[in-house]
Amino acid sequence: MTDNMTENLIEKDVTSEQAVEQQNDIATEDKVMKKKDIDAVSKKQTVGKVFVQIGLYVFLGIMALVVLFPFYWMLISSLKTLDEYNANVPTLWPHQFKWSNYTVAFDTDGLNLGRLFLNTCIVGIVSTILSLIVTVLSAYAFARLEFKGKNVLFAALLATMMIPGELFTITNYITVSDLGWTNTYTVLIVPFLVSVFYIYLLRQNFLQIPNELYLAAKVDGSSDLKYLWKVMIPLSAPTLISITILKMMGSWNSYIWPRLVARDTAHTLITVGLRGASFVDQATNMTDFPAQMAAVVIVTIPLLLVFLFFRKYIMRGVSRSGLKG
Amino acid sequence: MSKTSKKNQWKAWLYLLPALVILAVFTVWPIFNTVRMSLLKNYDGLRAIGGETFEFGFANFVSVAQYRGFINCLGNTMLLCVITVPISTMLALLIAVALNSIKFIRKAMQTIFFLPYVTNSIAIGMVFMAMFTMIGGSATEAPESYGIINNIIQTFGGKPINWVNAGSSKFANMVVLIIYIVWNALPFKILVLLGGLQSVNKQYYDAAKIDGTSRFRTFWRITVPLLSPMIAYVVITGFIGGFKEYSSIVGIFGDTMGPSGDARRLDTMVGFIYRFIGNNQGRASAAALILFAIIFAVTMINMYVSKKKVHY
Amino acid sequence: MKKKIGAIVLACMMSCLSFVSLVGCGGGNKKVKDFVMPDGGFDTTKKVEITFYHTMGADLRKVLTDYIAEFNELYPNIKVTEDAIGKYEDVRDQIVTEINAGKQPDLAYCYPDHVALFNQSNSVLSLNGFLPDGEYKDVTVTNAKGETEPIGFTQEQKDAFIQGYYNEGFQFGDGKNMYTLPFSKSTEVLYYNKTFFETNNLKVPTTWDEMEEVCAKIKELVPSCTPLGYDSEANWFITMCEQSGSAYTSSNGKLFRFDNKTNREFVTRFKGWYDKGYFTTQNINKTYTSNLFKAQTSYMCIGSSAGAKNQIPARVDGEYPFEVGITSVPQVNPENPKVISQGPSICIFKQNDPQRVLASWLLAKFLTTNIGFQAQFSSVSGYVPVLTTVTENKTYSDNLNAANGYEKTPFLAAKVCMEQASAYYTSPAFVGSSKARDEVGNLMQAVFTNSKTVDAAFKDAIEECEYFVG
Repeated sequence: MTDNMTENLIEKDVTSEQAVEQQNDIATEDKVMKKKDIDAVSKKQTVGKVFVQIGLYVFLGIMALVVLFPFYWMLISSLKTLDEYNANVPTLWPHQFKWSNYTVAFDTDGLNLGRLFLNTCIVGIVSTILSLIVTVLSAYAFARLEFKGKNVLFAALLATMMIPGELFTITNYITVSDLGWTNTYTVLIVPFLVSVFYIYLLRQNFLQIPNELYLAAKVDGSSDLKYLWKVMIPLSAPTLISITILKMMGSWNSYIWPRLVARDTAHTLITVGLRGASFVDQATNMTDFPAQMAAVVIVTIPLLLVFLFFRKYIMRGVSRSGLKG
Repeated sequence: MSKTSKKNQWKAWLYLLPALVILAVFTVWPIFNTVRMSLLKNYDGLRAIGGETFEFGFANFVSVAQYRGFINCLGNTMLLCVITVPISTMLALLIAVALNSIKFIRKAMQTIFFLPYVTNSIAIGMVFMAMFTMIGGSATEAPESYGIINNIIQTFGGKPINWVNAGSSKFANMVVLIIYIVWNALPFKILVLLGGLQSVNKQYYDAAKIDGTSRFRTFWRITVPLLSPMIAYVVITGFIGGFKEYSSIVGIFGDTMGPSGDARRLDTMVGFIYRFIGNNQGRASAAALILFAIIFAVTMINMYVSKKKVHY
Repeated sequence: MKKKIGAIVLACMMSCLSFVSLVGCGGGNKKVKDFVMPDGGFDTTKKVEITFYHTMGADLRKVLTDYIAEFNELYPNIKVTEDAIGKYEDVRDQIVTEINAGKQPDLAYCYPDHVALFNQSNSVLSLNGFLPDGEYKDVTVTNAKGETEPIGFTQEQKDAFIQGYYNEGFQFGDGKNMYTLPFSKSTEVLYYNKTFFETNNLKVPTTWDEMEEVCAKIKELVPSCTPLGYDSEANWFITMCEQSGSAYTSSNGKLFRFDNKTNREFVTRFKGWYDKGYFTTQNINKTYTSNLFKAQTSYMCIGSSAGAKNQIPARVDGEYPFEVGITSVPQVNPENPKVISQGPSICIFKQNDPQRVLASWLLAKFLTTNIGFQAQFSSVSGYVPVLTTVTENKTYSDNLNAANGYEKTPFLAAKVCMEQASAYYTSPAFVGSSKARDEVGNLMQAVFTNSKTVDAAFKDAIEECEYFVG
């Protein structure tokens, strides 16, 4: 029955798009044209298309190199000797590979890597899921529901993003220590659960989904939550994935707050454990960047793999349900 | 008021409740504390514990405004914002659209553009040091290394430019900073815009294809309007972030926030806040609120403009 | 309806305001109790837990935990949690935040100006009572081995410290209270390429005038080189003030006095050297001066004694390309030498439980007076031990005797440091002392690189410092 409803809604989706298209001055009369007709474009256009495609690949290739360069640098730095890293003329490829940077990163006294990973996974996963729930609910309220003071509240929420948050740390620390939250998972998860950035992002996406769908669902008698779950969430899957990635990365890499509030072994996160003091030369206060980079790579690789898998899986799920992005 | 919308009232607040509770404790409360600190002359938490009392008033705001480098901080902040946000947004948009309009190795490409998220920010700073900094030399001797960028310039017969070293021009410093900030901002913007593009229904494009609409026209008349909510999002949040620029400058120029010999040349408002956060939270809070007022005004203008242009 | 919203907004504002005023009044309740010696002194029967924040990497941590284990044999009831926070600045930020919530650690390993910062909250313990003639001189403690000793320092223990380092503990405010114990120290030394100096028959400079002559000669011999690399402009400035007897800052830090004729003269003089290519600095050159020294593009280097291991050139075909020589930094007046004393100290925080404070003191005393620990810690870190008696440690004295300008360069540096023990000075530590340091460093750079005139550079530096504390 629910499947039926979804299909129904998707049909509605198409109709509503028609309306949008008309607004856009796009000819809508030929909407049902067959693929054949598309193939019938002139040869001249095809040649142009090839050039455009080549141009696109060149552009993307260059940008990919530009964007990836720091990633590459991170990898090679993690394999350099400290001397080579500090050399006056930077090298693009390590003269000798110092794999021992990785053992240095692992081999810190009292470092229980398994425990660190476990802690980080718990915090990362729980805070991402909770954050998604809170974000979805709030964004839905702002995008779809009508209530008094909506605009004022939304503006106020945006305003909170505008104050440089560096000043909040001390106040928040006092709050959590008064609440007795230090050295708990709660303190690592709750304070940063709500991100106005994500609420705003998702609201933008929700607003794009035509209102007609909502009204149709109302007519069908389905509840708000059901509509949210069955329509809004699948339709904004790409944005939700973006948020998941950002939030996961955020909790995985967070350092300053966890270091401040959770210092016992039962709750130490991997970045705190790995970055600690292990890479700072005591006397000269110089950082052993290669070893630190190795630690960073160790931390990020599992995350990267999970995401590549996760992303593919979700995208497949989305396309199977017929809601092509 | 109809019955359903009455019902929606409390429902909406129910949906918002978890977010609002957490925000009240961990965001709103610190903001009020910031306001309180800003109104106590030279307030500092440690001195307060030590038993010192602080005069109530606007002295902190006056002292921030009277700072000799205040105009410089403000000017740098604004300049960086106004230049970097449009550039990074345009570039990210082009990349996202290009990614969406290729077929061959599209998935691989998307994966590649995803990698920057797992790049540590220290690594990005390191790359810039290596690329633009000249190393070695003295008043009488040429540098030992001119940096990768200058090496490229020299290959094409140009003269090396002093980008970030002692004696460099502010213009050169700014160029480097802008490239760095744009570079840093790109991955996030591409992610958001690509997410937006994937939500857009293909049928619009098919229709345009059939019409034989030119690519350029398709881009301006379909992609940009359909993507306008996401563009508005990245522009507005880009401005908010841009006004808080700090770590990128420290990343390239170090804590002095300027080339050696000219400390604080590239100082920003947040740079100022950081200098006082440890020993004069009153002054830091006042600066934060002044910055807030500026960001708020700019965001309101942004929102006003986007309301007219954004198409939902 | 509009009215209703208005009322809600008003109510919110009111409640927030009351909240604000509430907190405004309650700011002082995190105040720490002053330490009072409990009756019966330290209670060796009750379990007590203390936390020690430090910056030590894995190697040093090993040394530390070994000796904490030894300490626990004496005081099994004290559980020490040693916590490596990160860099010195991270330790500072962590502790500042924790003091704000009334949760400071028990001991911290940090720089003196950070201690001055912490002590604005009046939460750092004054150690005066524990000194040989202090208030607690009659209080004793009996450890698990049955040995009874005074809880504070004995005269003998006090005398074992290198006096310059010991006196550093008094460099705060009025100079009457001791807030830190020296833990591990370093100073500036002059590294020179001994092989090059001997081959060319050059005299190792002992004064700045001689330094100028040597630079001129080296520049003639090897025109493409930069004879001298100086790590820290700020140290140079402060040391010059001390050596010439000119003013720098007042001891409480409210007055910045470094803009005077003498100081302008030496800055102008060094500017002349810079223009002739006699020297460069780490900040201007964008590389460690030790890199230049090792590559033999410079033949002298003034830097931290703790960095000695970085001055050793890499072996080529099993042979060192040159021998490193180490000596004291040049002086204005060799009759009255002055060299800077740097490096971390240890401070103790007040707690509401006096037993915790006593436990912390016992640990601090153990670590700073234990010859074995000092010897081992110095060997691993490159710092100089703070005890003159460390030579009683066989391994360390063997190393000192075997010191050379090759693989044992760090011990050569330690030797030089110990020989100049009477010359150490420290500049006053206060909130803003690190600001003054930064500013005089910037001032030197600005003048050297032609970014500012001498007048403008001094004026800017003074104004920045005064705004910072004002």
